[in-house]
Amino acid sequence: MAKGFYEEYEVFSRRSDTAPMLYQFSLLAPNEELALIMAQENFMRREPASDIWVVKRSNIRKMTLEEKETLKRLDNKDYRNTKGYGYLKKKWRQYEQGMLDEKEIMSWGGNQS
Amino acid sequence: MDSTVSYGLLAEDEKHALFIKRIEAGEKIEADDWMPEEYRKTLIKLISMHGISEIMGALPEKEWVPKAPSLKRKLGIMAKVQDEMGHGQLLLRVSEDLMKPYGKNRESIMQDLFSGDLKFHNVFHMEAPTWADAGLIGWLVDGAAIITQTNMLDASYGPYARALKRICAEEVFHAQHGESIIMALAEGTPKQRVMLQESLNRWWEALLMFFGPGDAGTTGTSKQDITIKYKIRTKTNEELRQDFFTKYIPRVLSLGLILPDSTMHFDKEAGKWIYKQPDWGKFKDIIKNKGPKSEERLRLRRISYETNEWVREALGSASAGERR
Repeated sequence: MAKGFYEEYEVFSRRSDTAPMLYQFSLLAPNEELALIMAQENFMRREPASDIWVVKRSNIRKMTLEEKETLKRLDNKDYRNTKGYGYLKKKWRQYEQGMLDEKEIMSWGGNQS
Repeated sequence: MDSTVSYGLLAEDEKHALFIKRIEAGEKIEADDWMPEEYRKTLIKLISMHGISEIMGALPEKEWVPKAPSLKRKLGIMAKVQDEMGHGQLLLRVSEDLMKPYGKNRESIMQDLFSGDLKFHNVFHMEAPTWADAGLIGWLVDGAAIITQTNMLDASYGPYARALKRICAEEVFHAQHGESIIMALAEGTPKQRVMLQESLNRWWEALLMFFGPGDAGTTGTSKQDITIKYKIRTKTNEELRQDFFTKYIPRVLSLGLILPDSTMHFDKEAGKWIYKQPDWGKFKDIIKNKGPKSEERLRLRRISYETNEWVREALGSASAGERR
């Protein structure tokens, strides 16, 4: 009975227009419209939200436990991030220049939220 | 990567060993991960009970929505009742994903509640006859809930830990909502102060019972050792009860309230509160749906479930039609 009433939906939301979509939780609803209403009414009453997505769980391809193993990092990938170039700070100091690090570069856009 | 494992190739005991290694390392277990049956069953029991208690717990409070003394109080308690229903839904989803391998779902949870197989928390079988009870539930019952729930914020089961994070944040609002009602009564007329004291007397035993028996010897069974073993929580029932006393007894006394247990005191040498045990036989009866309000609240839930059945049928078959 009432089998189609209990479909699983996954809910995503973002706190502001510039924030990334974040996974929140799952809920049961008979269709997308109700899933959206339930997500909003049941869970988004207090925290700020600028957008909500609902996705039927069966449309999401999740990683298996085994596949998640491939996410573990090897400890020899310094060249992929700024950590591997940390020595430059000292070098630039020799040339009496400051380091254009991530913090500095990300500030160039001015006063953005 | 020496840690890469092919789960399909492992024997059951190897999977078990790996599972223990994962939780020991602080990793979180997810719904689709391999887990020992004892772990799954313990979680189902714990989280279904927690989820359905949120929903049954809204019932004593909702009685006060039409009778709240001001519009502000009415809005506050309505928001709280709505939150509790949201918590219930969030938690039932967590337990439904766990019970899926057994072919169980939301429908089975409701039926188990009606048949008495699924129990709800002892405090929600009790009466809330005065406005002071509405305040006391928020202040001390939710206070007790915060103590047990924050103890599981780092639970080894990821979906439960995440749900609790959200729930505990909202419980802080509930506790303050309760404190605000209590404070108004404590600073009110002599009649209001009497009402508050009577409410504390009425809820005292239920509050002691809230954390469950100290050990299995008291009531025959206790899941606390299993939940600690699997890193679902860290503290025993008695430790949580003691934490509750330490946080709340000084506040209760500061408002000029009298402890309903005249023997209660803090033993400095032993470093713990000495108190009169509640009647654990009564506790067993209450959670078997033999409390003062058990039947009435179950009936309310059953009526609403049956009355709304046509909605589930209509929307359910419409969406089943869409899929065809």
